[in-house]
Amino acid sequence: MLKEDFVIQSNIRRMLIRTDVDSSKMDFGTVKGVVYVRGIFQLSRLYTDGDDEKTKEFVIRTLYSLEKKIRSVPGVTDVIFQFVNWRKEKGQWVPVEMRKKEEEDEEEAESNL
Amino acid sequence: MRKRQNRIYNRVLHEIESEAQIHPRYADLQNQLALLYMFIGETKRAEDHFLEALRLNPKYRDAILNLGLLYIETKRLKEAEEIFLSEVRRHPKDGFLHHVLGILYVRTGRKAEAVARIHKAIQHHSYYRDYYRTRGVWRRGLVHLDPKTERTLKKIRLDQHYAQFHNFIGLYLAQKGKPAQAIKELRKAAGLKPDEFTFHANLGTVYYYQGLYPKAILEFQKALEIDPLYGMGYANLSYVYGLLSRTQEALRFMKKAVQLNPQYADLHYNLALLYSDRKRYKQATLELKKALRINPSYLLARINLGVLYEDQKRWNEATREYRKILKITPDDEHIRKRLEKIS
Repeated sequence: MLKEDFVIQSNIRRMLIRTDVDSSKMDFGTVKGVVYVRGIFQLSRLYTDGDDEKTKEFVIRTLYSLEKKIRSVPGVTDVIFQFVNWRKEKGQWVPVEMRKKEEEDEEEAESNL
Repeated sequence: MRKRQNRIYNRVLHEIESEAQIHPRYADLQNQLALLYMFIGETKRAEDHFLEALRLNPKYRDAILNLGLLYIETKRLKEAEEIFLSEVRRHPKDGFLHHVLGILYVRTGRKAEAVARIHKAIQHHSYYRDYYRTRGVWRRGLVHLDPKTERTLKKIRLDQHYAQFHNFIGLYLAQKGKPAQAIKELRKAAGLKPDEFTFHANLGTVYYYQGLYPKAILEFQKALEIDPLYGMGYANLSYVYGLLSRTQEALRFMKKAVQLNPQYADLHYNLALLYSDRKRYKQATLELKKALRINPSYLLARINLGVLYEDQKRWNEATREYRKILKITPDDEHIRKRLEKIS
């Protein structure tokens, strides 16, 4: 039986609060079992020593874990992330700003040729 | 146990001290520091920080009351009286202020003034009626101060500021992901001042996050008994009932939350979910439209609205909403597929 959207939404709300994700910068909604999560993805606390690479790895691990947790909520049939600063490409989480910078670097390299 | 608690308080004190160094102009941090110093018995430092909080924000009510209670605790009764008299002029219907002044007058032997204040405390807050009745002070509609009841009242601790201390520590621990310890502190706060709705609301919230739903319901209900206009209390009750899959109660409380907070788009959205789950499409549509009127860029509400139109076979309206969504998020495959299906 299809789980009611409000029940799913209440579960997601509680789940988000209990993670290390800063839910104040995100919006989430449920429509026919499909969960949408939008906004800025940020962590409320970091367990790294400030090293950029380690921080990035930690954020990516948290994103995968978040997706897994949302999918495990009874009644959830799919989850769609629409973050401003992170996006999933071919199954991999990529920071959006970094991707833009890499594209700019590539463009610059091409123009220098 | 005591040692462990002191470790927690010292750790919090250390962290707040560091934060206050970074943000020396935050009155909140000064008030919190003062509460921590007060609790470990450093009353002079506590006073300095309350005064600093008030220098930064002269209207900071919690800091004013805490300072007044600190003066009572340190037997600076004249200064305490000035503070509470000034506050009661601003808030003449605040039962707590009359109660504090009443106790203060009992302690200084000003019997007639004490009787008048206790009477006003009872008049303005029903909690104090029971409070004084159980202590033999309120009998047959009159305040009775005799040597026995005076002795009782002189022993009363005015510990609202300790309640605030435990509340603040509880919230701090909850934010740090330590709900079990947070609950202990918040229970102490609610125990010290049972008529303070914030303590029950906070306790309810932490129980809710912990998954202790019956306890969460009880605390939110207590908070709502004290303040029936606490709209978010109804919303939280609704979410808890949602987690218990008791959507009929969830609907009842969400309706009340919306009624009290009509400008909160997220509550209209949640009410719409409850209606659409029950296939009450007309009401669901109405709530989503209200959410969009409040926040026109509320994309999630638009997605639900589109799907709701689709459910009602209102293809043109669904198409219109999906197109609007794809203008903002062209990569949304879920919506694109829905649009293709109905086009």
